[in-house]
Amino acid sequence: MREIINQDELRKGVGEWLAAGKRVAGPKQAAWNRVLYADLETAGELLLDVNQHPVNSIKEFFFPKHQKLYGYEIRGNDVQLTEPAEPVLDQVIIGSRPCDAAALPILDHIFNWDYRDSQYNALRAATTIVTLACTSHDDDCFCTSVGLAPDAERGSDAVLVPFGDGGYEVRYVTDKGKALFAGRTKSSDQKATAHKGPRIKIDTAKVNAFVRDHFDDPFWKDHTLACFGCGMCASNCPTCHCFDIVDEGNVKGGYRARNWDSCQYANFTSHASGHNPRASQPDRQRQRVYHKFYIYPEKFGEVLCTGCGNCSRNCPAGLGILNVTTEISHA
Amino acid sequence: MSGTDVFEPKIVAYVCNWCTYLGADLAGTSRLEYPSNVRILRLPCTGRIDFNLLIKAFEMKADAVLISGCHPGDCHYNAGNYHARRRWELFRDLLDLLGFDMRRIHFAWISAAEGRKFQQTISEITEKTRELGPYKVYEGKKVPYPSFPESALPLGDFSTQSELRAAARRLLTEGRVQVVIGYGERGPIFVTKPEDADKLVWNQSCLTNLAAYLKRKEVRALGKAAIVVKGCDERALLVLEQESQIERENLHVIGMACEGLGVAKCAGCAVRQPRFADEVIGQAKPAEAVDHYAALDVLMALQPEERMGFWAEQFDRCVRCYACRQVCPMCYCEQCIVDKNRPQAIETSPTRQGNFAWQIARAFHQAGRCVGCGECTRVCPAGIDLWALNLALERSAENHFGYKAGIESTAEPLIGSYSVKDQAEFIR
Repeated sequence: MREIINQDELRKGVGEWLAAGKRVAGPKQAAWNRVLYADLETAGELLLDVNQHPVNSIKEFFFPKHQKLYGYEIRGNDVQLTEPAEPVLDQVIIGSRPCDAAALPILDHIFNWDYRDSQYNALRAATTIVTLACTSHDDDCFCTSVGLAPDAERGSDAVLVPFGDGGYEVRYVTDKGKALFAGRTKSSDQKATAHKGPRIKIDTAKVNAFVRDHFDDPFWKDHTLACFGCGMCASNCPTCHCFDIVDEGNVKGGYRARNWDSCQYANFTSHASGHNPRASQPDRQRQRVYHKFYIYPEKFGEVLCTGCGNCSRNCPAGLGILNVTTEISHA
Repeated sequence: MSGTDVFEPKIVAYVCNWCTYLGADLAGTSRLEYPSNVRILRLPCTGRIDFNLLIKAFEMKADAVLISGCHPGDCHYNAGNYHARRRWELFRDLLDLLGFDMRRIHFAWISAAEGRKFQQTISEITEKTRELGPYKVYEGKKVPYPSFPESALPLGDFSTQSELRAAARRLLTEGRVQVVIGYGERGPIFVTKPEDADKLVWNQSCLTNLAAYLKRKEVRALGKAAIVVKGCDERALLVLEQESQIERENLHVIGMACEGLGVAKCAGCAVRQPRFADEVIGQAKPAEAVDHYAALDVLMALQPEERMGFWAEQFDRCVRCYACRQVCPMCYCEQCIVDKNRPQAIETSPTRQGNFAWQIARAFHQAGRCVGCGECTRVCPAGIDLWALNLALERSAENHFGYKAGIESTAEPLIGSYSVKDQAEFIR
């Protein structure tokens, strides 16, 4: 027997989770021209039917764009540290794409590799991720090239696979997922079939070999000169995780925070001397491909990419991982 | 502060060293009494009072701000106050659009001899601010997303693609340019070989304002360039030339007559036919005029605290990726003010306060310069209505100074120049 839920029941659940004081986030029309994963204020805001991939990723809910690490007060020569006062709420992410959820185990490596990041881990522990399997893909999707699929379960607590009639088969991945839906589903022998997904578009082994052997290569300038250096690829990427540490405050005190950063910014590698080892935008583009297909795999044994296509879909210069690595595959 | 519940406002006064500061001094030596709510900050000249300081004062919980300097004609540096007057005129319109409480922002001319005027000004501002109460600057009132007027989405026919390719091939074959900056299938491309000219496209997706590449060192290193521009992009070239950022004779401009790319900015386009290009491909019919300020009127019809609420919600989404800056042909500074940290002028954290400071700085640095190509709005991953900020400043420049950026090739830059005839009734 399988578990199923219809859309009304699902929305009812969202409403109840909100009423219970949980933070519930999912795809919504956050701006007139943008669908984003964002905090839901009502269950009605949740977009379940659109085939539009949100511009951003769900990393925001574990690794916020701006996160207070601790506060400080300066009294004379003395500095007092204070714990961050922000409580960690129970979170539910509903309607995550499989490629967004799959990024979390990848980020877990980063945030627990030498230093165990308590704030990241606290948010991970407090969150239940309900993934909605895809029913279509667009030109920029390439999850199948990195070993994922439209109904991939990696990183999710439960996966909803649509029947196409407004109902979903609920596939539990963890106990957390099961607990969230307890009492909301019905048993049925109806089985949902997932969408096949995009054809395999890039060969990650070939990309890995290429970047290893082509550090100083005209390829980068020939194919990535158009990059504007906006860093949008990184902020919308489910796996990009670089951050900057800043102090916000005055002479009396303030707080230390981490903000998203990106290898696409000239500042990212600027030395105090004024020298910049990655002097031009093609150097920075190379770094992004390197990190995803060579540096991270060397360390953790898998690519730092889930094939979501956000970077290509939203790139103002028509670049992004898919487009650059496609050129590599043909090189 | 006394033990009573009377609210004592905090007022920040940025004053010029030569007139108002001496006026304040005179008020003191003349034993004229005025409220102690004012914190005076002395700067060399009103022309050097950066608008960021005004924002900074509100960030630091000021309830009102006064900026004051020498009367017109009295500037120690001849014209600093004339420059300041122009900037304030524009800046006020931006702040008004953003929903700042304009009753808390004051400007004055106070000379070294006007101790009494200083006393009166401070007393009045203090009294008025006390009545207004404490200022919670970025706490707006939440409003539903306004319904902006729908515009037509004109779309041309793009039949001139082969002529564009032929022109590029000719220029490269004859060696007149080393690179053609144009549009490819996926996005901007740099064509350096005649045989690659067929990679150029001319279609609905040619939105990018390619003039943004002209500032880039690695693009300049490719040699003499030809650039493909639409009439709207060409306006940016005019401003860049005005501001000595490009040498026009070292650039070959291929103008594409354009009847629209199917996006909102194309409605009512007044520059469908490029006017200053070295060669123009195609012939475009003029567009029907539309009132493109109508959308601004929708925002201005809201109450100031509602406008503030509108922008607070928008700016809260900002992730500070700086895509708006990176795609802008006018943002050519080698180091952006937001990247400066010694001292830091603008908070780099994507907090509401930091995002307001950044968006205000970005928008105002475009005052009298933005050509309305709309790329910042198109690329913003957070879908922030940046166009409205640019449009407010465009309207301000047009209303107060009859100026429009990138239209007249001989015009003096609006912010870089002044006129003694500029009027500014808001200055006391």
